[in-house]
Amino acid sequence: MTALRNLRPVTLAALAVMAVLALLPLVAQGYVLSNWRDVMLLALFALSLDLFWGRTGILSFGHATFFGLGAYGMAIATTRFGIDPAWASLAGLGTGIGLAILVAALVGYFMIYGGVRGAYFTIVTLALTIVANNIAIGWSSVTGGDSGLVGVPPITLFGMSFATPQASFWLAFAVLGLCLAASLRVMNGRIGLILAAIRDSEVKAETLGYRTPLILLSTFVASAAMAALAGAIYATGTGFVAPDMIALLLSTEVIIWVAVGGSGSLVGAVVGTVVVWHLQQKVSSISVAAWPIAIGSFFILLVLVFPKGLPEFVVTQARRWQARKGGRE
Amino acid sequence: MADYLPFLLNALTLISILMMVSLGLAIIFGLMNVINLAHGEFITIGAFTLVAVQAAGGNFWIALLVAPMVGYAVGLVLERVLIARVYADPLHAILVTWGLSLIIQQVIQLVFGAAPQPVTGPFPGSVDLMGASYPAYRLFLIGMSLAILGGTIVLFRKTRFGLDLRASIQSAEMASVMGIDPARINARAFALGAALAAVAGVLLAPLTSVTAYMGVNYLARSFFVVLVGGAGSVGGVAAGSGLIGGLETFLSYQIPATVAQALVLILAVVILRFRPKGILPA
Repeated sequence: MTALRNLRPVTLAALAVMAVLALLPLVAQGYVLSNWRDVMLLALFALSLDLFWGRTGILSFGHATFFGLGAYGMAIATTRFGIDPAWASLAGLGTGIGLAILVAALVGYFMIYGGVRGAYFTIVTLALTIVANNIAIGWSSVTGGDSGLVGVPPITLFGMSFATPQASFWLAFAVLGLCLAASLRVMNGRIGLILAAIRDSEVKAETLGYRTPLILLSTFVASAAMAALAGAIYATGTGFVAPDMIALLLSTEVIIWVAVGGSGSLVGAVVGTVVVWHLQQKVSSISVAAWPIAIGSFFILLVLVFPKGLPEFVVTQARRWQARKGGRE
Repeated sequence: MADYLPFLLNALTLISILMMVSLGLAIIFGLMNVINLAHGEFITIGAFTLVAVQAAGGNFWIALLVAPMVGYAVGLVLERVLIARVYADPLHAILVTWGLSLIIQQVIQLVFGAAPQPVTGPFPGSVDLMGASYPAYRLFLIGMSLAILGGTIVLFRKTRFGLDLRASIQSAEMASVMGIDPARINARAFALGAALAAVAGVLLAPLTSVTAYMGVNYLARSFFVVLVGGAGSVGGVAAGSGLIGGLETFLSYQIPATVAQALVLILAVVILRFRPKGILPA
């Protein structure tokens, strides 16, 4: 019990969420289960952003670019190249993740080694998404333009097909679980400490002998690769790709998911995605136009009312309330 | 000469638009270090002021006068209520202004509908210039943007407000020690930036499709103008607009427009690698 009590509230919440997710196939089938698979892949996408933003303090406004590159890479490789279906999914994963790594490494190199940090980095990545979206819409001979590409086959890896909702659910669950565990392990270790040092003072970390630009660039590229992985599997689940998978709105929605869970905790990104996704279903079922207004208000509330994320906010409020109650007795 | 003139004027049109759109942004960014992602929506507000004025039976010139007042008022209120609370953390400013931008977009769309709005500019005809015919309105636009640039330079160099503004951009702390009220100068500068964007919105509305989301198209490019040119300096905005607008027009003659935009972005990133503070910093 003491081990449980030593965990942070967000960690406990995430463990609970993963446990609940593991129980889902017992109660849900078909469409509902497929929805949960998509939510888990979006949570993986949120985790990828948190890996970079939460740990370096540098906000990327362009992570949908990498998610979208993964999705489009998968779609283009599986529907256009005429590869043997047994290997097409693997080629798709390779194309999508490879493209994301290439773009992240190129843009990241010029920015990070050029000393571009903080707000400037955010703006350049914002423009990156806008340009990527323009290309996805404009280059219709390859990307299908406004209507996107349809007919992305379900994922098949080494002769195993993940076509049923159950199979694809467990694939997404396994990928999310593995990435979460790996991220937590790396970030609680040496690299996480160096990143924390860089966030506090890059000059000091550099003086201590760490090649800070290299570490930042590697984190950025790893984060982009994870986003592309999420996007590539997501495309095989939905069966199509469209320009809104590589758009600015998605880039900002993922920021909300991470921020709601509390940035930097990694597991919070998963919780945040699940919470906000369900909120979105509720709000959109009332009115589709209400959702952008809800996100907009949420951004403002986030900064003014709970800058450390929703779980932290709830915990501090509960503590304060308890303390007040305790004081009265 | 007649062959190159349209190209030159097209480049000048885009440069003029970028210059007007970026001026307000450069002032806000240079002074408060706030990345105002709602800046595009001030352009949209300007354009929809024109829509509303024309729908009410007014003409273009009335809108051109009303828009900066609307922009100034909205900017002033938003600065006082929201933006003034987030100066300490640039990240918070980004999130708040982005939230604001989403709300404004959606509200405008709910009020006016999703379809592009019809607007009419003055000077419908073309003018003969050394054998080439060119739309008169675009020439007017270029002239107006030069006038606005000139006006801003005069404001910066010759007025008390400009002096306070330049002092605060150089060192907000020192300026406040010298008796310049930072809250007051920030609010006025933010409102001024919004007013400039609203004027730009009216002027470019007849050339583009007026929708609630039109601001986003200019947001990223105007940030690149400011980053490449240098924040907080009028000269930097002119240099950045010249480079980005000129290059984009030149490239879009050779290759598809989307590829041209991507190339300009890459070039801007490369420039940042070597001149992180821009070409002409304040």
